[in-house]
Amino acid sequence: MQKIYLKLFTVLLLLNLSGCGYNNFQSLDEESKASWSEVLNQYQRRADLVPNLVNVVKGYAEHEKEVLTQVTEARSKVGSMQVTPELLNDPEAFARFQAAQGQLTSALSRLMVVSENYPNLKADQGFRDLQAQLEGTENRITVARNRYIETIKVYNIAIRSFPQNLTAMMFGYKTKPSFTVENEKAISVAPTVNFGDKK
Amino acid sequence: MITHIKTSLLAVCTLLLFATCNLHAELVAIPSLQTRVTDLTQTLTSDQQSQLEAKLKAFELEKGSQIAVLVVPSTKPEEIEQYSIRVVEAWKLGREKQDDGILILVAKNDHKMRIEVGRGLEGAIPDLIAKRVSSEVMSPSFKQGDFYGGINKATDTLMGLVNGEKLAPPPPQANHVNMGFDNSLALFVIGCVVVGAFLSSILGRFFGAGATAGIIGGVSWFILGTLGMSIFVGIMAFVFTLIMPYLFDGTRGGGTYSSGGFGGGGFGSSGGNDSFSGGGGDFSGGGASGDW
Repeated sequence: MQKIYLKLFTVLLLLNLSGCGYNNFQSLDEESKASWSEVLNQYQRRADLVPNLVNVVKGYAEHEKEVLTQVTEARSKVGSMQVTPELLNDPEAFARFQAAQGQLTSALSRLMVVSENYPNLKADQGFRDLQAQLEGTENRITVARNRYIETIKVYNIAIRSFPQNLTAMMFGYKTKPSFTVENEKAISVAPTVNFGDKK
Repeated sequence: MITHIKTSLLAVCTLLLFATCNLHAELVAIPSLQTRVTDLTQTLTSDQQSQLEAKLKAFELEKGSQIAVLVVPSTKPEEIEQYSIRVVEAWKLGREKQDDGILILVAKNDHKMRIEVGRGLEGAIPDLIAKRVSSEVMSPSFKQGDFYGGINKATDTLMGLVNGEKLAPPPPQANHVNMGFDNSLALFVIGCVVVGAFLSSILGRFFGAGATAGIIGGVSWFILGTLGMSIFVGIMAFVFTLIMPYLFDGTRGGGTYSSGGFGGGGFGSSGGNDSFSGGGGDFSGGGASGDW
């Protein structure tokens, strides 16, 4: 008889657990990990493109050393980062990751601006292909990031709202960091257009 | 407790819904997907539209992948990439799991176009190839104002590229069974009522319910393809058929329901008319944009 009560109690507890959002957390947690992997994939794809791109540009624009070094440095910084799914649970590491990727983004866009000055480079089929690939990859990164932000929003809302927040607290589920606009300062400053005098 | 959570969840959902609605209020609306070729600018004549339509339809029947064309006046304030990904997220071109959909998007007044390639076709049509299609095939025609020519040639090129890719063959009926939750629920209830009443009157209530559960479970296995889910459906059917007489008090005998009506209507209607809908394909932002 005792056993039956025990079983009933367990079943009730289990039901209660799923009622308190525990199961919900599981699926949301998995979803956020999946969308995070997609973000990482696309960043990796971009990092893989960089060496080829640098080589092609070097061939035509040897003396653009500054920009080329910036890109290479940013690339190696990104490559040296330990990127694991656990990164998600560490807001500081996440911020570092975002900063490193942001640096590569701006270095690459500078490289693209510089390459506009070299007609021969622009006409090179290899460069144009790489450019198309880079554009596509940047777009994929944007899409993956947006989807990650959406997933994390749902996850964080679930974790913070009552009464699931009690379950989250009990099992140690924390809110996950989301992407922010990378260079807020750079965006708020209007770009200056410089005609003629090249450095 | 549970109802409490439900109401709070509902509230959150509603809030989310409103939030997204507000966000998208000023953006260009996504037209509903009815045909493969959607032209909101009256650029293509109806003759040209139906020719493209026929070609793309034949291609889907033969190869299985879905190609759609959308011509809009402008995508402002969004970039064409942002608008494009919203469109394919709503339209879900391409088959589920195969993700073999393509959208050719032209923003006429912006002088921009984009080829959005589904996940499954990123190998057949890498970004740089998509870029070349837009810059070398579409752009020259568009510059001369020949929109039909550009789009037509682009679809030919893309179809050729997709043809080189090994994809799962199209389903024999070509029209995939596109069942939403409401549809399948209705089918489930109707199936239980018809089959259950029929079998119960022959085999008795208990065995009738068992046989019904078997049939419904089998059919759902056939449709869904997952065993666990169909066992669950079967059990649901068993319980539902057992309690059915108490739900519909007067129909205990089941004589008023004739057999043979099961599901036929539901499947037939999706195959009969000419409407077009996406198959559940996924996009991750692959493809390329261009201008003219």
